[in-house]
Amino acid sequence: MAASLSAAFNVEEHAASYGTPAGPSVIIDPPDGKLPYLPGMRERALDNDKHRERDPVGQCHMHGVPRVMFPPFPLEILQDREYVVILAETEHGVRIIPTDGRPFLTNYSSWNGDSRGRWEGDTLVVEVRGLNGRGWLDQAGNFMGAGARVVERFRLTGKDSLDYQATVENPSVFSRPFTVRVPLRRRPADVELLEYGCIEGERDAVHMPSARGETK
Amino acid sequence: MIRTALVWVFFTGTAWAQSESRDLRGIWQAAGTAFQNLEGAAAQQGRGAAKSAVVDPANGKIPYRTDARKSAERNAKERATADPLLACFQPGVPRAALLPEPFQIFQNPDRVVIVYQHVHAYRVIFTDGRPHYDDGIEFYMGDSRGRWEGNSFVVDVTNFKPETWLDDAGNFHSAKLHVVERYTRTAANTMRYEATVEDPEVFEKSWTIRVDLVRLAEPNSQLVEHECERDAQGIYRHPPQFLK
Repeated sequence: MAASLSAAFNVEEHAASYGTPAGPSVIIDPPDGKLPYLPGMRERALDNDKHRERDPVGQCHMHGVPRVMFPPFPLEILQDREYVVILAETEHGVRIIPTDGRPFLTNYSSWNGDSRGRWEGDTLVVEVRGLNGRGWLDQAGNFMGAGARVVERFRLTGKDSLDYQATVENPSVFSRPFTVRVPLRRRPADVELLEYGCIEGERDAVHMPSARGETK
Repeated sequence: MIRTALVWVFFTGTAWAQSESRDLRGIWQAAGTAFQNLEGAAAQQGRGAAKSAVVDPANGKIPYRTDARKSAERNAKERATADPLLACFQPGVPRAALLPEPFQIFQNPDRVVIVYQHVHAYRVIFTDGRPHYDDGIEFYMGDSRGRWEGNSFVVDVTNFKPETWLDDAGNFHSAKLHVVERYTRTAANTMRYEATVEDPEVFEKSWTIRVDLVRLAEPNSQLVEHECERDAQGIYRHPPQFLK
């Protein structure tokens, strides 16, 4: 599977700039398509954008949820009766999602969280807890904080198309929950994920341009 | 009716059914200490003696070429700083299967997927006969293609990067490494793991290790996230809970 690229750059509507194609907002709630930041938080996101060397993915960390579902690299989804497994090519990220009704882990903190899935009709609903609060939402510095909970909905809308929605509830950063919606397309059956290496000494992220085209 | 009953008695009378022998799913972990040194080691401070995991050749020694044995000895001396695992590189094969950390196997009709807890490395092993990548394309975890031979799952692994080690002791390989792994269920919660290692640049002949894998059978067992963080020098380090 591969997501449409726009969300990876910026989940909000954005104009084209150096290294960033223009794209629409993927936020379907609130209706204005803007992240409902608490006062002062949008300024932090704008500052992040000027310091993309802070991007956890640039530092070789896994994307976190929901960003892991719309990277500019493919994903592989496997399932059996007990699990749905999502492999991300980028950062060789992994999510193992039990669908057998087991309880969440306690006192758990991680980049990709602790996920539990269940089927509601044709929709796979995944609840995510145990996120470490350090994940960003996109390359533009939009971010999440401690205590986030995410509810994801995966639904096939055609033979090769998947509708992905994630509702993020994170009262330490946002005034209300918000929902992103990203379409994913299935790649041909002969496509294979490639190995992704990242930790071998990259030191150049400090030179990344701002996703909004601003220079330092 | 009677025959059905007899079959039922037969299956329940054994610890596991033959029909499960091609079912590798579950969370597994290597028994023993092969990860420390494939050739075994005498007892030393903080570590008990360990038998060699090498079953062929029969003397339990890795059949290094003379110059390569010297490189392994140098690696052993410098292992506190030189082991690529310490800087969170993906562990390679067969080392990934031997680490003191669990891994989980998933099976689909055309592929077997192994997710290692250790730095969330994973391998997608196609079983539909598609070929290896061309020479010169290198991966830390190699390029794996699987097939069933009787009740053994056989994985042919090629296209390795030369940077990974084979164990904590500095046993090593080149980019010419070729590994053939065999996973064979032996009981409900045990599996035999064998790996035949071939690398004409480093070894005089091929050699084979054998290690038992044990299933984590506790209900609700799951892998946890093992993610490294950069230290003050910018080198990636394992979080303390994963240091052995």
